[in-house]
Amino acid sequence: MLTCLFVQTGLWADSDLSFSADIRPLLSKYCVSCHGPDKAKRKADLRLDVPKSAFADLGGYAAIIPGKPEESEIYLRMVTKEKDDIMPPPDAKNPMSQEDIEKLKQWIAEGAPFEDHWAFSAPVRKPVPKVPNQDWNKHPIDAFLFEKMAEKGLKPQVTASKETLLRRAFLTLTGLPPAPVDILRFADDQSGDAYGKQVDRLLQSRQYGEHRARYWLDAARYGDTHGLHLDNERAIWPYRDWVIQALNDNKRFDTFTIEQLAGDLLPNPGIDQLVATGFNRCNVTTSEGGAIPEEFAVRYGVDRVNTLTTVWMGVTVGCAQCHDHKFDPFTQKEFYQLFAYYNNLDEKAMDGNAFIYPPTVKLTSDEDHEKLASFDQKIEQIEKAIRVNLASIDYEDPGARAKDKERKDYIWIEDELPEGAKASDADGGWQFVSGSGFPTYQGIKSHRRSAQGSEQHFFTKARSKLVVGSGDTLFTYVYLDPIKPPKSIMLQFHTNDWEHRAFWGEDVIPHGSGKGAGHQWLGNLPEPGQWVRLEVPADSVGLSAGDRLDGWAFSQFDGTVYWDHSGIHTQIPQGNEGFQSMSVWMHFIEQAKDAGLPKDLKTIAKKGTDKRSNAENQILRDYFLEHVCSETQFLFSALHDQKKQLSDDKSKYEQAIPISLISKERKETRETFVLVRGEYDKRADQVQPAVPEILPPLPEGAPNNRLGLAQWLVDPAHPLTARVMVNRFWHQHFGRPLVITAEDFGTQGELPSHPELLDWLAVEFIESGWDMKHIHRLIVTSAAFKQSSAISPQALEIDPENSFLSHGPRYRLDAEILRDSALFISGLLVEKMGGKGVKPYQPSGLWKAVAYPSSTTANYKRDNGDALYRRSIYTFVKRTSPPPSMSTFDAPNREACTVKRERTNTPLQALTMMNDIQYVEAARCFAERVVEQSLPKTEQRLNYAMRLATGRTLAEDELKLLGNLYTKHMATFKKDQEAAKGLIQTGEAPRISDATPEELASLTMICNLILNLDEIMTLN
Amino acid sequence: MSHIQETTDHLLSRRSFFGRTLWGVGASAMASMMPSRLLGSPLNASFAPRAKRVIYLFMSGAPSQIDLFDHKPKMQDLFDKDLPDSIRQGQRLTTMTSGQSRFPIAPSMYQFARHGQSGTEVSELLPHTAGMVDDIAVVRTVHTDAINHDPAITMIQTGTQLPGKPSLGAWLSYGLGSENNNLPTYVVLNSTWTAKRDAQALYSRLWGSGFLPSKHQGVRLRSQGNPVLYLANPEGVTQETRKTMLDGLGEMNRKQFELSNDPEINTRIAQYEMAFRMQTSVPELTDMSNEPDHIYDMYGPDAKIPGTFASNCLLARRLVERDVRSIQVFHRGWDQHGNLTRDLPLQCKDIDQGATALVQDLKQRGLLDDTLVVWGGEFGRTIYCQGKLERTDYGRDHHPRCFTMWMAGGGIKGGVTYGTTDDFSYNIAENPVHIRDLNATILHCMGFEHNHLTYKFQGLNQKLTGTDAEANVIKGILA
Repeated sequence: MLTCLFVQTGLWADSDLSFSADIRPLLSKYCVSCHGPDKAKRKADLRLDVPKSAFADLGGYAAIIPGKPEESEIYLRMVTKEKDDIMPPPDAKNPMSQEDIEKLKQWIAEGAPFEDHWAFSAPVRKPVPKVPNQDWNKHPIDAFLFEKMAEKGLKPQVTASKETLLRRAFLTLTGLPPAPVDILRFADDQSGDAYGKQVDRLLQSRQYGEHRARYWLDAARYGDTHGLHLDNERAIWPYRDWVIQALNDNKRFDTFTIEQLAGDLLPNPGIDQLVATGFNRCNVTTSEGGAIPEEFAVRYGVDRVNTLTTVWMGVTVGCAQCHDHKFDPFTQKEFYQLFAYYNNLDEKAMDGNAFIYPPTVKLTSDEDHEKLASFDQKIEQIEKAIRVNLASIDYEDPGARAKDKERKDYIWIEDELPEGAKASDADGGWQFVSGSGFPTYQGIKSHRRSAQGSEQHFFTKARSKLVVGSGDTLFTYVYLDPIKPPKSIMLQFHTNDWEHRAFWGEDVIPHGSGKGAGHQWLGNLPEPGQWVRLEVPADSVGLSAGDRLDGWAFSQFDGTVYWDHSGIHTQIPQGNEGFQSMSVWMHFIEQAKDAGLPKDLKTIAKKGTDKRSNAENQILRDYFLEHVCSETQFLFSALHDQKKQLSDDKSKYEQAIPISLISKERKETRETFVLVRGEYDKRADQVQPAVPEILPPLPEGAPNNRLGLAQWLVDPAHPLTARVMVNRFWHQHFGRPLVITAEDFGTQGELPSHPELLDWLAVEFIESGWDMKHIHRLIVTSAAFKQSSAISPQALEIDPENSFLSHGPRYRLDAEILRDSALFISGLLVEKMGGKGVKPYQPSGLWKAVAYPSSTTANYKRDNGDALYRRSIYTFVKRTSPPPSMSTFDAPNREACTVKRERTNTPLQALTMMNDIQYVEAARCFAERVVEQSLPKTEQRLNYAMRLATGRTLAEDELKLLGNLYTKHMATFKKDQEAAKGLIQTGEAPRISDATPEELASLTMICNLILNLDEIMTLN
Repeated sequence: MSHIQETTDHLLSRRSFFGRTLWGVGASAMASMMPSRLLGSPLNASFAPRAKRVIYLFMSGAPSQIDLFDHKPKMQDLFDKDLPDSIRQGQRLTTMTSGQSRFPIAPSMYQFARHGQSGTEVSELLPHTAGMVDDIAVVRTVHTDAINHDPAITMIQTGTQLPGKPSLGAWLSYGLGSENNNLPTYVVLNSTWTAKRDAQALYSRLWGSGFLPSKHQGVRLRSQGNPVLYLANPEGVTQETRKTMLDGLGEMNRKQFELSNDPEINTRIAQYEMAFRMQTSVPELTDMSNEPDHIYDMYGPDAKIPGTFASNCLLARRLVERDVRSIQVFHRGWDQHGNLTRDLPLQCKDIDQGATALVQDLKQRGLLDDTLVVWGGEFGRTIYCQGKLERTDYGRDHHPRCFTMWMAGGGIKGGVTYGTTDDFSYNIAENPVHIRDLNATILHCMGFEHNHLTYKFQGLNQKLTGTDAEANVIKGILA
């Protein structure tokens, strides 16, 4: 029977069926969504993804009987003609091909061997194969690659030219092309290891971190705004700088991981380690009106779990939020167990649209501490001088003789508003008038209003407030126009509210009502045609000792009214006036409900004379002499000024110290539940933090919290982390990962093109001490990386995607590299590191067109000067409207974790490269740089330009081509000088060359062409 | 290296580029050379589509269905009465009103009447729309999962509340490619609005490509500055000068192709040529000065002001004439928590004539048969009042449980009113239409069985209608 079977399946009989490559995909495609890990969707309680269930005796029959396809229910169901029995069921609209049926049949016949999914067992280093090629047998990577290449009938390319190689290494390691000096040095270095030494220099350069960090920031979903709804700016750029620094320092990847996921849980974490935990805070957040906090708290947690599993584990557990994973062995319960690690972050779900969204850390450096201390020291010196002065004053209280006892007029409003007052602009605002025809009581102006119905003018927010004493009277002078008298006039006084009003005449002004302090009638209108003093006893409008007025309203109904010379009749010193007598002052502060004292003095003052200690009396005396006493306070004004200046400087300095969002653990543990269908308000069983069962347990001794979780990820026993990381490194250099589904190492993902190589690199990564630079060095020094990227017709035929690396890498460079290279080539690049995100050129109106108008990022305010020319990693990322020249080149908007950018080729990219002011200005400055070389011949200039940009010189025919083009442009611009001048004015950078407009414009067009070359846009 | 082979490839690729379409070009031309998985090449539609193009008129902020389409006459007697618990059923509210001590009913102050042969009910705020009810299908029972703007608008545009998924237009670009040589496949138009200024924000993810290649993302056509970003040459550079430069660039790139044999170079050459053509075709598109007076009369006086909704509707028609696949017109300012009676009429005036003219204009040109037009917002509004309640002054909070949208054109039956809500326009009584169903229906009209328009990402066959729940085409409104 068996023999017979093999004959029948002759096609496959002598082939080597692989469970991973051939069978699992078929089971996934046809069977597992109903007969797999998802309990809820599972039919007939049968699983076909694990042998235990697949082989189980179902009562005289089994789904699979190893070796006996004709007796295996699944095979019978595949081939039956009975509509009701056939599998997959017809309504799944997923019929099996004959070829697939044959494959499964053969597999059962061969004993139905199951294998664990490759990615869930730890990588093991297989021996490096011996290959018969002396250029490809020195480097382990090459040996693995060559073996596969040979299998496919492919041959490697020759080594790329020196210029190409240099440019490739520069771009992939630093994101910038080489400078002419680098090209010369490399060309001159004839030593055997010139390339290796160059690679080492690049790995040591600070540009390395600025380039490599970008990949990580895509994964970390780093942005400069909250991302949802108002999308306000958030304080987190120090995290971006931390990543750059950590990579430049070649921080071990295990430490790099632990600090970002759980730096706050390390013993005595430093500021840097706290800043690193910004990783957990990079998710998008909201504060949308009406949003339900719990709903968003859950969403943030889900995002964090998804990001964690995608970045480190290359698996997507997101669907387990709602139900058990359909294909991979992750249950819904396990999803919430992972979620539980994050559920204890101490943060409010609503971000408050706040720049500083707690928890945060202030990045106060040692230098800052010193600086701040020196401010304190200087302030302390001044305070000491004040104390010395105070001690030297021999004060005698004039008591009853003091002028303080006299009541006098203090004028608050005369010719101008009190300092700081803000006049309303209602009813035409506040109008001072002067000159003939306008009556004035004193000074040179009065304020006037001609009203129809009820109108008024007023101010609030006066800095120097009017202080009310007991028995005081407020007053003003008023002149009613005899021809057009009003029906009523009203004064209103502002403390915290306006409920202090006095009026004269008819009760027609609609402010306040009834009788009392808020609507006090003080009699008939005064005589028109003359200045009359109106007096309002403070207590009649509900004002008592210590009340402070910061505003005053002058209201009227109809008519024309002039007001002047307003203030208070009082014995309380106003403005800068002081008391002469301490005892009078003491009496005032004891009575007043607000004497304007500092808090601690208020407490002392309230105690009453007999209950105060000597020390307390001394404090009051000193305060009186320093701040209140009309005879002594001036002695301190210079010192006060100095002190204020220092305090202001200090607080300015303090405010400039950056702040960054960080992670912090709540004190009390928040309970975590499985959420039915992932809905935040449908709680099922409570769960504790735990890692998925299919993976190794937490390392011994690791705490069961975020810290333990991080340690678990970088435990050498973890099968995924190292593989996932080296796969991404590979992708970043070769433009294509070994596991093409870099975000999915699960059973639905693609198998690695070179499993042994992937595992070898993963083990190497771990055993090198998680040394990232080591892996980069290994990759870029391989013969595979160094070979020419020319594609042979045979390679295009057999392996169009270059999975087997029979030629060197070729791919369009990423958005950041394109912009940075243009800036670099033109000499515009400003190599300042770090700091707040910058806002370079961007077409106007893009933010405004989409933003919530009151967002802090509603309007794009372009920066000037150096900020226009920084590396793109420092460009401000508003997540709901990211920089367009970046997104056009596939940069993600950083709303969600991205570990693999797409690479497209569109006309919009062409338009950007040709016309974006950033690139046109770069072309202009690039041209000026060429002119500056004082090369006499056009050919020399063209060659120099090409060399600056690509590292190579022009071939004969290219030179001729560009030469002709240049002549053509010259003819055009010579005729049209205005056009030439227009073009060379592009951008903010100053002109440096003295070339003629047509010369510079023509060369600018050539440079614009060069910057648009495929060669420039491609790593080749 | 074989020169014959190179030349053949070269010719082949060049010919295919020019024979193909602009945005789909890289994909379709290359499909024979590379697996489609990598390139996202156009797929075959599931069946013959009714519509080739879609125009989505999106009212951001959520229009009140109660004051526009979902007539509830019984509410007049319940003014200021409490919404019965039996209706609210303890369903969640936003935190803007969940703290209100009561939920008083605010009947619509607007008059409704039946219109057309179908007798479709429309409020007095939309007189123009009322005149074309026999051409549209009014769906009164759309519902969504989200209760706040950001997640809700993300949900309706991308099929899920969380950022990161492709928008409808991106899916269509991926699925169907382009039919135009010189214009983007998917165009987004933002409109000015009249109600209070602090309107809800839009987000680039609403026309983003999510995990699909970025060439599928919507391209904003702007009413100010360059209509397409970076379209215009820099100062001093004429189209002639640009052509000189591009000819040289093409030559240089072809030399590179000869050395490297990389087909991607030919794609790049073609894209630059297309960019050059766009520099002419886009201004020609956006220059509407040659539209005759009777057309401007249809769209109303706003149509002459660039950036208004009416002007964008006219532009949308011009895009449709040029076979642009998806056009998304956004109009903001529909979030009437308060002052509804002041702002809603302004908003309606902004859109009523333009939207109607668009449908009628398409119809008179024979384009409505294969153009789908969709109108609506991200959710509805509550029958109960938010804040102060008077007969003629009220506000309404967000209401995800039912709201009204209308559809017209390719594949849709006109004169239909689909779905019934309860007397309070609070719960759905009959024929619920989830956002997934709505999107499945749109895809259906465009020729796709929604389960078949998929893209493998993160181990799952991703779909506009999500990977989990079911979605059903609304058969009752199909022609």
